[in-house]
Parts: sequence; C-alpha cells; structure tokens
Amino acid sequence: MAEPPEPVEPPGAARIPEGRATPATARARATRGALSAHPVTTVVIGLLLAAAIAGTLVVPIYARISPRVGDFPFFYFYLLAYMPVAAIATGIAALLQRRVAR
Amino acid sequence: MSHVNATTFTIVVALFIIVTGVGFAAARWRRAADMMHLDEWGLGGRGFGTFVTWFLLGGDLYTAYTFIAVPALVYGSGSIGFYAASYTIMAFPIAFIFLPRLWSVSRVHGYVTPADFVRGRYGSRGLALAAAVTGILATMPYVALQLVGIQAVLTVMGVGSGSSNTYVKDVPLFIAFVVLAVYTYVSGLRAPAAIAFVKDTLIYIFVIVAVFYIPTRLGGWGHIFGVAQAHFTSVNPATKKPFGTFTPASARLGSTQFDFASLALGSALALFIYPHAITGTLAARHRGAITRNMALLPAYAVLLCLIALFGYMAIADPVTVAAVKQSGNAQLAVPFLFQHMFPSWFAGVAFAGIAIGALVPAAIMSIGAANLFTRNIFKEFVKPDASPRLQTRVSQWASLVVKFGALAFAVELPHTFSINLQLLGGVWILQTLPMLVGGLFTRWFHRWALLPGWLAGMILGTVAAYKTATPATSHWASSSDTVFGFTLYIGITAVVLNLAIAVVLTVILRALKVTEGPDETRPAHYTAEPDTEAVLVAVAPTSVESS
Repeated sequence: MAEPPEPVEPPGAARIPEGRATPATARARATRGALSAHPVTTVVIGLLLAAAIAGTLVVPIYARISPRVGDFPFFYFYLLAYMPVAAIATGIAALLQRRVAR
Repeated sequence: MSHVNATTFTIVVALFIIVTGVGFAAARWRRAADMMHLDEWGLGGRGFGTFVTWFLLGGDLYTAYTFIAVPALVYGSGSIGFYAASYTIMAFPIAFIFLPRLWSVSRVHGYVTPADFVRGRYGSRGLALAAAVTGILATMPYVALQLVGIQAVLTVMGVGSGSSNTYVKDVPLFIAFVVLAVYTYVSGLRAPAAIAFVKDTLIYIFVIVAVFYIPTRLGGWGHIFGVAQAHFTSVNPATKKPFGTFTPASARLGSTQFDFASLALGSALALFIYPHAITGTLAARHRGAITRNMALLPAYAVLLCLIALFGYMAIADPVTVAAVKQSGNAQLAVPFLFQHMFPSWFAGVAFAGIAIGALVPAAIMSIGAANLFTRNIFKEFVKPDASPRLQTRVSQWASLVVKFGALAFAVELPHTFSINLQLLGGVWILQTLPMLVGGLFTRWFHRWALLPGWLAGMILGTVAAYKTATPATSHWASSSDTVFGFTLYIGITAVVLNLAIAVVLTVILRALKVTEGPDETRPAHYTAEPDTEAVLVAVAPTSVESS
C-alpha cells in the first residue's frame, strides 16, 4: 500500500474539514491486522463465505434431476434448500466479524 | 378498454392511490431541519436501520422487470433462467466482503455516490467521471425496463389496448409515471423507502398464495415439472434443437453449465455496484445494518426462486400457453397465468404488486443516477462551489430528466432495444468493479491503468454483445458468447480483460514511477463505525445545527 504522507486537497473537492472528521475517525476500529489478531475466526469467516458462494457457483454439484425430493427434481430442490444454508453461513460470518471488531 | 375486468382494475387503482398517498406523506417521515441537502433528499438522512434497509434494498434489487423477465426466460428456455436463483444466493456473501467497507469510507468522507469514492481514493476526476457515466448509462435502460414491467401488466388487464395510437395506449403509464416523478421530486429517497413496505407486503402475499394455490389447480408440482421436462427435452422442429434445458446440460450435451455459472457470478458481482444498490446501502444508519442485511436479504432470494417457478407453471397451463402464443410475447406469461388462475380481485392484488414493484426501484434508480450527475459531473465540472441546496435542486431535476428519458425510451423504442441495453448495462457496470471494489481493498492499482482497463472492457463487452446472433436475430441475441469453446457471460469475459490490462499497466506505470495522485482515505476509514452525530456534524453542519 503506497499512501502519500499527507492528502493533497484538490481544488473544489468535497471534503470534510480534517479537524471535524477526527472525532469520528478516532472511534474507528481498525480490523487491519485482523488475521494476525484473530487467525482462527478470520479463516472461519472466509470459509463460511466461500462455502456460501461455491455452493451454487459449482453447477455440477446439483445439475441433476434425481434424486427427486417430493415432487421436486434435485436441481430445483437444491436451489431452494441452499438459500437458507447460505443465509445462515453469512449470518454466522456477520456475528463472528462483530466479535473480531470488538 | 373492452376486456377490462372491473374488479381487477378497481383494486389496482385503489392500491395505486394508497401508494401515492404514502409517497407524498414520506416527505414528513424522519424530517430533518434542512431537507435541501443531498444527505436528506438523496440518502433519506443516512438514518435507516436494519429493518427499513431490508425493505429498501429488497424493494430496490427485486424489480418489476425481474418478476416479469425471469419467469419469461424460464418459460422460453428452461433451467438457464434459474441462474437468477443462483445469483441471488451468491450476491449477499459476495457483497458482505466489500459493502461494509464502502459504507464506512463513505460515511467518514460524506460520499454520496460510488464515483465520489473513486474520486477520493484515486484523486482523479477523470476516473470518477468514467465511474459516473458508466453508472448513469447502466441505470437508464434499467428504469425503462420497469416501465416494460408495468406495461406487461396493463396489457394483460386490457387497459389501453383498444387504441392503436401509442400515446393513447400508454396514457395509464404516463399517469403512473408523472405521479411517481412528482413524489420522488418532493420526498426523495424517503418515498421509495416508505412505499417498499406496501410493495413487498403485496408481493410476499401473492407469491406465497400462488405457490401453494396454483399447483393445486394444475395437478400438483409433479405434473408441472413433468410437463416442463417433456417440453424442454422435445426437439423444436424449426431449429432441430431442444426447446431448452430442464437442468443445466453437461459438456457432452453442449454445456450450459459454464453459461449458467458465469451469468450467476457476473450478475452477483454487478448487483451491489449498481448505483441504486449503493444509494440504498449508503442510506443505512450503521454498519451493522449492512452486515446483518446480507444474512437477512436472502429471504427475497427464496421469493425469486419461487417466481422463476411461475415460468414452469405457465408452461403447464394450456390456457396461458395459448394466450402467450397469440400475443407473441413471452413476457406476458406470468400476468396471463395470474389472470387465468386467480379470482379477479386477487389478480388485482398481484398486478398491483408487480406495478408498484416497478415504482420503488424506478424511484431509487433515478435518484442514484441523479446523484451521480450532480456530484460527479455538475459539481465537478460545471460548478465546483455548488452549495448543498443547489446540489439537491439539481438532483431533483435530474431525477425528473432520468424518468422522462426512460419513459420516452420505453414508449418510442421497441422493447427489445431496452432489454438489450439493460443486458449491456450489466456488462458495463461490471467494468467499474476493479476501480470500485479493487479500490476498497488496495491502492495498488494505478489510476492511469484502471482507466484503459475500463475502456477496453466497455468496448469489448459492447462489441461482443452486438455480435451475438441466433438464426432469428442478427445482433444482440444473447448475453453470452463463446470463449475457447465455452459459453460464457460477456460481462465476465470483459471484466477479466479489464483486470488484466489494469494489472499489466499498473506494473509498468509503477516501474516508470508515474505519480499516483492523492488518496484522501486511510486504512482505518474502511472499518470505521463512526458515531452518526459526529459525522453528520462533520459532513453537514447546517442539517443538525438546530437540533
């Protein structure tokens, strides 16, 4: 990350006066270095999100008609059933991230 | 207006009047001391909690066009239409990765648009202009398509179809849009946020009822899937190929799996970089409202999957199939299905849900596009010292221009044109991914590398989409193209090229030590959860002075 030492304010830019932004930014909690501070939690968050995404991205997993579940061919059952799974995985990731941020 | 069902029509009109009242009343909701500030008009005071944000983003992302076009694609081509279910599953975990960072940095610096962030991060007016123009270009046809959604409902209701004159035919559409334009002008983002409650309640009701009720009329889910499977595996005598696929086909059968996956991934990546989605995001009061919603919004994804299944229900209903065939427009499949299956009063509820479903995203999209124009074109290049009051005024007028431009678009041009442009819109907006999402995580990319990458992606994407052809249409036939023997979504191909150019040029520009430009953000800004009061004081001293 190459960052100039002092931000150069371009003319007419929408900027908050530096002094006024300070109270807000002072309260900022940096998760930079979260990986070193909470290695296990961070990896778990990553795995949860990866699973939520890969579950329907990898189409061969579910692009089949059988087994049918009730009247639903597997493809359609899987899409409906994976939604709550992905939502719960994302929800757990959200909870874990809040703990990391504290 | 010969075949208009009075009950259906009355219910639609009554619900529309209720929604109009809510739209105007919304101006008083969470009223601030000074409403003439973009944070107020354009972002609803940046004060929506988890609950309102859920309705706002849900109402924003699942549009009337989605409700019409997704089942229409399923009706026409089968399983490929279910990419929409897959993409809404992926979209939220993907957005979880970058959206909270965008919220935080925007809150710290008072950014109103995604291009404001690009401007601040790279210190480049040119790059911000590229982001803003892409956003406006991608949003305009999307607004026009909301009208196509309303028109589908009106056509099936029989409203205006008695006249051959386009303008007489579209009078109800004009009225709906003028009303929408006026309350958006008055209430800003508060109007769609309030109306989203009504819209989503109607949609959840009619979808749940439809999912349980319609199969009982059609011989159960087993029969519906059976008819669909038989239809899509039978051979179309005209093309000598199957009508579609019942599940994404593997490589042996001419793979549609890559097409399915790349369409889903591309759409999921694009979803939360559309300006209207970012407008909804930045209106949230706290960071937790965004992260929590990434776990709560998939409730809408279930809804979308069920809506896609309406396409199969339509295939299983011979009356709907005959009506669609006669009209020659697959987009009418779902409205015809509802008209045939539901009692007329409930068809009215469903039609109103779809039509009102068009108004919420149309309002947010026009606000998002208007903010881009005001912040990144007008203020940047025309009047750098524009006061918050003037900026709000310009945005209000720009939102009117966007809406009436879209109206002219939808009425004057063939619908296929809007649909093609919307398809292109997705390809275009993806080209802002490297500068926007890339920029949220690293300042490694050089600003003068991102610009040529963006340009190359825009050109390749547009040309590739133009060149797609089928036996029936010579251009703009598809959103997918063949790359190295695989059918892939053009947006993905273009953004890969875009990234490759950005990486190579960044390495070269860094080796040459070309100046990188100022970066006004700091790493801590991306994870900040600033105190709302403190930031509002910092960003908009006038709006809270009296409180």
